[in-house]
Amino acid sequence: MPLEKAILEELRRSVGRANVIDSSNDLRIFERDASIEGAVPDAVVLPANTAEVSAVIRVAAKHRIPVVLRGAGTGLSGGAVTIRGGIALQVTRMRRILEIDPIAQTALVEPGVVNQELSLAAASHRLFYAPDPSSQKACTIGGNAAENSGGPHCLYYGVTTNHVLGMEVVFADGSVQWVSGDAPERVGLDLCGVLVGSEGTLCAITKIKVRLLRTPPSVATLLAAFPTIEAASQAVSAVIGAGIVPAALEMMDQVCVGAVEAHYHAGYPTDAGAVLLAEVDGIPESTFELMAAVRSVLAQNQGYAMREAQSPAERDLLWAGRKGAIGALGRIKPNYYLHDGVVPRSKLPQILSAVGEIGTHYKLPVANVFHAGDGNLHPNILFDLRERDVLPQVESAGEEMLRAVVELGGALSGEHGIGLEKSAFMPWVYSADDLDAMRRVKDALDAHGIMNPGKIFPDPERKVPHLAGRTGLAIEAKWW
Amino acid sequence: MSSRGPRVGRSIAEKPATAEELARRLHEAAEAGLAVFPVGGGRAAEMGDPPARDGIELRTTALDRVLEHSQADMVVSVEAGITLEALQAELGRSGQFLPIDPFHSPGHTIGGLLAAGWTGPLRLRYGSPRDFLIGIRVALPDGRLASAGGRVVKNVSGYDLMKLHYGALGTLGVIVAASFKVFPKPLQDVTVESTHESLVDAWVAAERALAMPMPPAAVELFSNGRVLARFLGSPDATKRMVADLGWKAVDAAAWDLHSKSAPARWARIAMPRHQLRSIVDNLGADEQWWASPGTGIANWDVAGGADGVRAVRTAAGAAGGSVVLLAGPSEFRHDAGAWGTPPATLHLMRRLRSAFDPNHVINPGRFVV
Repeated sequence: MPLEKAILEELRRSVGRANVIDSSNDLRIFERDASIEGAVPDAVVLPANTAEVSAVIRVAAKHRIPVVLRGAGTGLSGGAVTIRGGIALQVTRMRRILEIDPIAQTALVEPGVVNQELSLAAASHRLFYAPDPSSQKACTIGGNAAENSGGPHCLYYGVTTNHVLGMEVVFADGSVQWVSGDAPERVGLDLCGVLVGSEGTLCAITKIKVRLLRTPPSVATLLAAFPTIEAASQAVSAVIGAGIVPAALEMMDQVCVGAVEAHYHAGYPTDAGAVLLAEVDGIPESTFELMAAVRSVLAQNQGYAMREAQSPAERDLLWAGRKGAIGALGRIKPNYYLHDGVVPRSKLPQILSAVGEIGTHYKLPVANVFHAGDGNLHPNILFDLRERDVLPQVESAGEEMLRAVVELGGALSGEHGIGLEKSAFMPWVYSADDLDAMRRVKDALDAHGIMNPGKIFPDPERKVPHLAGRTGLAIEAKWW
Repeated sequence: MSSRGPRVGRSIAEKPATAEELARRLHEAAEAGLAVFPVGGGRAAEMGDPPARDGIELRTTALDRVLEHSQADMVVSVEAGITLEALQAELGRSGQFLPIDPFHSPGHTIGGLLAAGWTGPLRLRYGSPRDFLIGIRVALPDGRLASAGGRVVKNVSGYDLMKLHYGALGTLGVIVAASFKVFPKPLQDVTVESTHESLVDAWVAAERALAMPMPPAAVELFSNGRVLARFLGSPDATKRMVADLGWKAVDAAAWDLHSKSAPARWARIAMPRHQLRSIVDNLGADEQWWASPGTGIANWDVAGGADGVRAVRTAAGAAGGSVVLLAGPSEFRHDAGAWGTPPATLHLMRRLRSAFDPNHVINPGRFVV
């Protein structure tokens, strides 16, 4: 529903005429994130600073219009989709790195700063920002904080919430506040802690103070092949069980390796049932000792064709294959549906065989590329949207996979968020009383429910609309 | 109104045997208009302002079971009343541990540690329990039991309520169970020491240890010029760090002794790391304290009265830090104020508290909110 002209005028006064988008063709650009469902916003507003974010939220609060924060739109759970219409608040004009303090080892950034840009900017001080989602070339720190994003190196270094020291946020009434800061303790409740990962449902994030880490002087990266995905899973448990926590421990199955190798020519062994990418870092003595230990454990667990990167360029190539894996899967099918359930690490063999069976049952190819050390799955269900009836099959397969995760004692999402996509499944893991406790937090901080409505909490009125909105129409209209 | 003088009466002490029973007793007390003081090991009993009214003590110490320890997954779930020592013994049998080493040990319960938010020297390497608490279950004054998080090491399903309960002194609900990511015991664990006549030299030594290429897991600096450092890691790596640093090796028992520290009038100074020294330097030459220069925390054995605390607090606040009282006679805590100036977001914290404990049943008057 288009916004009233008077409201659009208020928004234009808040951010300048050029920074409000309301033409229907332009709005369609903002209907999706990297998940499969879409909905067109009523307006897109591009603020330049905190004061403008606050002004826009005050307009929205006055008229009770939904506000949905949006960074790079790389989210995988529908967090940036304006499912109830309203304003898409696009923060990509707020993309300054305000400060890098090499003494305190911190950075202060605006929410639109791209993840990788921060590490590049910190590199001259021999510092880096640890959370490294695979989309780090595009995704924003604001989006990372909203979703509590992870990445391969979170196995050792922790996820976004472990690296956010404080934030400037705008609450649902437009008020601007700093939560937490540089000191290791705060006085009172840890608002920052609950706002990180709240998926835009409690506040807008306008500045983020993050911790930077010293770049380790030595890094060793190993690629190892395994005859089966089960053997690779056992090897993962064995490494951790031996008391070694590598910086990263990633797995790819054969489907994935085939696509990656065809695309990157990184020398991944395409005959293997699965490969592991293991990385350790530290001082030369520790990387040498730890890598020797990792090699030995992998060899005892059917690992073969082990190849250690001999140069930074070779290491980058190995990682390019891992981080670009999902893109490479486009060689197999044009579309993918990706879940990110987490299981206890020891349940990896069981969940991977369940995932395989579900794919076979639905006759859908599945490619696994994931954070094995954390037990964080990423089964990519591959499909072609142009095949008319495939989508309900894809969604059912995804739902069954998540059901299997929960039955093994796991969680619905490790790093992508609940968003739109998994809100209906929340009662699988949380009781009515558990959800009520979360609801109390939501109501206390956003009484009128304008911040990213329709996310996280199960919505009884939602009738699984699948590809509602313009994406669905695009298919109907055969725009492909 | 806070009351002066001796501790407000805690007439009845109850020790529920199950989380359900605890929730029921909490609810009954709330209905009867009674205040409830949750108690674990009682190690942080003097933290915060003196309570505002009488009430009953709910002890969690009968809730002392390990609910599940999955060794292969390196995850443990426990009831809140288990002591840290009992949990470490369980984890130690499989070569694992929980990296918490609080002061005023032994005898902390897990629930008490989470509610009070106390940490020790190992925070430098492992962070605080805030970083590895992966699930929580609390009893609410309306009698409900609510869980958040789970038993996996990475989880973004719903709000991170663990963060809200951590350090909230039970004011959003009484913690009855918790799940943690645990860690493998390090391959090598070496402690070294250096002592200095001048504190200036001691600070320099501490900073030198912190700047080693493989960072230490803990560095503690004492007001008598002693510096303790701990290196965890692979054998050759720790060996090289210790050799490069050139300090005297000491027995790891030094940490056990250190963990018993518990000043009678105890203030925790928490500063942006590089502001810590200026605050500690101004405490006065006769004051006793110890500090974690790598994390920005100092523990101060307050010799003087409330005026001294207020003065240090003003300086700390101006530099972006805080001074919180962890122990002391109730009159001292009343005069100095346990928390200092409340944060600008106090109104939001109050709304959150009202959402969970609208009548201030749990620890009334004791916390910031």
